[in-house]
Amino acid sequence: MNLDFQHCIRCTICVANCPVSRVNPDFPGPKQAGPDAERFRSDNKTSIDKWIRLCNQCKRCEVSCPYGVNPAQIILREQVQYGGKHFRPLASRVFANNYWLGAVNSVIAPIVNRLAPMKFIKRILNIFGISTYLPFPQFHIHTLSRSWRWKGRRESRKKVVLFYGCFLNYNRPDLGRDVRDFLASLGLRVIMPRQVCCGLPALGNGDIETARKFARKNARILAGYIDKGYDVIYTCTSCGLALTQDYPGILEVPHGRKVSENSYNLHEYVLKLMEEHYIEPVFEPFRRKVAYHIPCHLRALGIGYPAAGLFAKIPGLEIVILEDNCCGLSGSYGFKRSNEDTAVRLGITAARAVKDIDPDMLVSDCGACRMQLAHFSGIPAVDPSEILIKSLTTGFEDSRGRVKGRKL
Amino acid sequence: MIKTDVIIIGGGSTGCGIARDLALRDIPHCLIEKGDFAAGATGACQGLLHSGGRYAVNDPEAAAECISENMILRKIGIKCVEQTGGLFVRLPGDSKRFRDMFLKSCEETGISTEVLSPSRALELVPSLSPSLEEAIKVPDCSIDPFRLCMLNITSSQKRGGEILTHNRVIDIIREHGRCVGVKVQEESTSEVREIRGKIIVNAAGAWGDNIASLAGSTVPMTLSKGSLIVTNHRLTNMVINRLRPSSDGDIIVPNEAVCLAGTTSITVTDPDSSDVDPAEVDIIATQAQQLLPEFVTTRLIRTYAGVRPLLKADGGDDRKISRSFKIMDHKNGMFSIMGGKLTTYRLMAEKISDRVMEALGLKTRCRTAELPLEGQEELSGYPLCNRLKILENIVCECELVTADEVEKVAREIGTRHIGDIQHRTRLGMGPCQGGFCTYRALGIMQETGKMTPEASMQVLREFLQRRFKGIKPALWGDQLREEQLVESICLGILGMEQGQ
Amino acid sequence: MSGTYDVVIIGGGMSGMMAAVALADMGRKIAVVSRGDPVCCLSTGCIDVLAAGNDPLEGIGSLPDNHPYRLVGKDTLTASLEMFRTVMSEECGAYVGDVNANRRILTPLGRHKVTCLVPATMEFADFHSDEYIHVISFNEMKDFYPNYITSRYKNSGCSIFDAGISTTMSIAERFENRQFLEAFISWLKGLDIPEGRIAIPAVLGMHFAVNVYNEISVELGRKVFEIPTLPPSMPGLRLFGGLKNALLKRGVDLYWGKEIYSVEKSGGQIEAVTLAGAGRSARVQGNAFILATGSFVSGGLHASMDAATETAFDLPVYLPGKRKSWFNDDFFAPGHAIEKSGICVDQSFRPVDSRIENLFVCGSILAFSEVMKYGCGHGMAIATGVAAANVCGELA
Repeated sequence: MNLDFQHCIRCTICVANCPVSRVNPDFPGPKQAGPDAERFRSDNKTSIDKWIRLCNQCKRCEVSCPYGVNPAQIILREQVQYGGKHFRPLASRVFANNYWLGAVNSVIAPIVNRLAPMKFIKRILNIFGISTYLPFPQFHIHTLSRSWRWKGRRESRKKVVLFYGCFLNYNRPDLGRDVRDFLASLGLRVIMPRQVCCGLPALGNGDIETARKFARKNARILAGYIDKGYDVIYTCTSCGLALTQDYPGILEVPHGRKVSENSYNLHEYVLKLMEEHYIEPVFEPFRRKVAYHIPCHLRALGIGYPAAGLFAKIPGLEIVILEDNCCGLSGSYGFKRSNEDTAVRLGITAARAVKDIDPDMLVSDCGACRMQLAHFSGIPAVDPSEILIKSLTTGFEDSRGRVKGRKL
Repeated sequence: MIKTDVIIIGGGSTGCGIARDLALRDIPHCLIEKGDFAAGATGACQGLLHSGGRYAVNDPEAAAECISENMILRKIGIKCVEQTGGLFVRLPGDSKRFRDMFLKSCEETGISTEVLSPSRALELVPSLSPSLEEAIKVPDCSIDPFRLCMLNITSSQKRGGEILTHNRVIDIIREHGRCVGVKVQEESTSEVREIRGKIIVNAAGAWGDNIASLAGSTVPMTLSKGSLIVTNHRLTNMVINRLRPSSDGDIIVPNEAVCLAGTTSITVTDPDSSDVDPAEVDIIATQAQQLLPEFVTTRLIRTYAGVRPLLKADGGDDRKISRSFKIMDHKNGMFSIMGGKLTTYRLMAEKISDRVMEALGLKTRCRTAELPLEGQEELSGYPLCNRLKILENIVCECELVTADEVEKVAREIGTRHIGDIQHRTRLGMGPCQGGFCTYRALGIMQETGKMTPEASMQVLREFLQRRFKGIKPALWGDQLREEQLVESICLGILGMEQGQ
Repeated sequence: MSGTYDVVIIGGGMSGMMAAVALADMGRKIAVVSRGDPVCCLSTGCIDVLAAGNDPLEGIGSLPDNHPYRLVGKDTLTASLEMFRTVMSEECGAYVGDVNANRRILTPLGRHKVTCLVPATMEFADFHSDEYIHVISFNEMKDFYPNYITSRYKNSGCSIFDAGISTTMSIAERFENRQFLEAFISWLKGLDIPEGRIAIPAVLGMHFAVNVYNEISVELGRKVFEIPTLPPSMPGLRLFGGLKNALLKRGVDLYWGKEIYSVEKSGGQIEAVTLAGAGRSARVQGNAFILATGSFVSGGLHASMDAATETAFDLPVYLPGKRKSWFNDDFFAPGHAIEKSGICVDQSFRPVDSRIENLFVCGSILAFSEVMKYGCGHGMAIATGVAAANVCGELA
């Protein structure tokens, strides 16, 4: 039994940082759900605390606890326990298997993209417990798993694996390919190997077995490359959290430690390359006022805000960092009807903070944050790598030697 | 003036048990207690419903009483007895001879035992020391002494029993050499009243001799103080005993969401002794660590002490005194009962009630063993995790006490004592020890009109002092941090010591 | 993420953050490492300078020689408080008060607490006991009971607003919603409150509380003031949020939610600290280090059964005797001995009995600060933070 909860002195700083308990009175807050309730779980023969599923695992409580009690982890363990003992609703099952859902949707992408906005489809989805306030992201046939795996010169001194995650794979493969090509243009040998979902959607929906299956497969593949001298790069901050925290942690995956210690956020890696003088970049000006919404999971990664460090080097770019709000979508959390009210309230508040600074555009590392905030603020949202690629190289060569640039 | 048949002095487990017993026999009675229920040894015990194993070797009479009552109480008190089971753990170096004697004595006394291998024991209680040699399973249980008293009193109240808490007996009225009544003084108003009765039962526990002397009698007793420490959470879900001759610190009992570890045994003369020496805390912690290694890093949230009213001994170790009980007929209309244990309270009550009935010339028999305790339906039961089902309007977050519960208790008993609320709801018994929730509870009591604002400040102050006394001997590590936080809230935010 | 800095500050509380502001304004490259959010989040949000007497600055002369204020000096103290006020006025709203005059705020128990600088929302909390005050509360709010206050003041009244939600955080969040605020104001107006002040528990918003407060005051045409609550304490959270934004604006790198795993020393210098966390540890290198990790509550000091240790660099800790002597028997005694515990420093804020040359110590981890006894918490944190930064900035 993990005994960190002993250290809790009920200071309520975690409660002050919890976005869900602020807008949903049914969730008693991280202190009550975590260290307080843990004292009553010692004889936990049945898990009947259904409200435990209301926690969106944003990890803000964990980052803010002055003493390292980690309520989010305590709650996650109970969510897993509850999920194992009770029937999981259809929506939860669907999102736990996001990977397969995406695979199917991408094959019939034109049909899905056509049907998704239709009212009667939305009504059916609502009946099954899926919320539809947010327009579904577009799916594409030409996924990353169907794109060229290798990029960059074979003799490159540095080799990297790109762990792209389900969102880039199915919904933004164009950006994924741009990132691949961009890394290659920095003088790296890049591979996008066979990979599956990081497992976080399954874990977040109380299905630890499915999460472990995905995680074990990924860890085996990634560890193989790490042993051959590759570094692992992730772009999605939630995938990053899974790889660095949950693989060696609650998922107890073989090679988990190895994967955790050799996985880098894209921008963190670019900064590292600069520090080691592997690249001597020239940043072209990019004159915009940009609101940088920090995803909750980026804060939880504890790597700081490396993209902000890169943005600081771009002439003409004015960045305002917004780290006080959770966007509310929280991965698949907001896509479930039972959480719709919470997600909408939080989305509106977070979007207002963005609108208040009147930016030209909105940037965020997390695909969910981008969808949510773009919808509620009306301001277009991009990934930090899109700005980076634009500025760091005004054009870069693709596999056929053509110079590509992307207008933002 | 109140007129009744039987006057019961003392609201501990024995007194409450007698009230229930007499109520079920339709005998009018009046119970008087100087504090709240379980103010004496009952409220300061370790919450252990003995299987009797602990006394099997040296005190077989007490052991037999224990096992018989254990079986009865777990039947009649489902919501206040948690059937945890217990283990007697033998560590390297503990006498094998004693172990053999233990098994033999248990068998002779009728206490069921099961010898477990270390791996099996560790399966049941993973926090046990991995170096244990073996463990013997016995039918120990955990019991909530406050709840026990309340439930017994419920039977009395339902049948018109007079219950006077916070009333102190200041004199026993005698006429022609017979005890005919008592004079009692109410604690807050200092009002004095007379209560007249045919028989007086002195169930005042450690104060028994003080009470008896008011009637010119004596009750020879040895008073033995025992200290206990409370942990932040449950390290074990079963009672853990050390398999060796009784010594300090060799029992750990899971009780609600904490563990109670203890105890010590120090002869005293003052029944009000309740100070815990830091050295006692160190002794108990050291012994407990041997059984449960994680005790080293376990946070302790409180300490407390109570005085055992033991039968008179002629010097020697308190631990060797028999835990059996004795009834004295002072031949002046007063009976005293002393000795015994919480586990055997019902039997004690039965025996003395039988004597009372005999003195009254009546023949109704005792039914306390057959009928379940009344009033259990509303109580949250076991396992503990069931209490997490719905969390609404919680005032004490550590112990999951709701505002409704506090309000209900405040209205029902119209009290000005936070302790009374605590005993009935467990408010403030968790890790923060009431640091946050007392302000809330008092606020609610003011709103119900049962507490004036001036009184509430005084009560808050007294409560914080009393609480601090219990915490001080074990203040280090996380509890010291907790204390500094509570201090900064009381003084820094609430401004308790500041002027108006 | 790793980095090299001029000064690395361990501990993101009042003291550490003010030191960071001072050093960043001197042009130094700064990192702040913090295990989590600081204890000032739980405070009233007010700056206590010294509780005794009317003029806190005068009172410093009567403090014991070993009190940290004696190391700072009146000029630096005044300058540091001015620096604090400047920062806050740029962030979440100006603080009100005069460093030469103590003032009072109203507590949830209806007491008056002595303090010095208060957030704008508590400007009018110091009222004459004859003046009429109307206390507002919220339906089913469990952390505030107006009758503690109305029973203490003959000339008072009370009204309860049904906000639909009842926790401090959820009400504070609602106040930043336009419709909610307007509904609240029109309800207030409808009460026809007699001449006097209006007191509200401190839930008037999260980041934008000053705007909410101003609007209510103007619309009602009355003196309004907030009463700080039990934690979660909005004024404390606003205070922290303001200082943190000030750090982000000054380009200070924040390593948040991380603990120190190991320390690299070389000779009499600390070279770097490595931060524990999942994945790779971060290595933070600096020319100088400031220790501002606070006392036992925040974990800067740790008390075992009979000893105390300093948790980041294992510096020697002053302890007033064994456990038996740490606390008085009376909970309310002015100052338990354990409050004296902490790190002893010399005139340059360097720890004594330690051969480390580039480490400075400030805040409540300093020995003899006795914050509860003297009522000097945040004031001492600000003053020693800035003073240590001044000395450290010369070196780095």
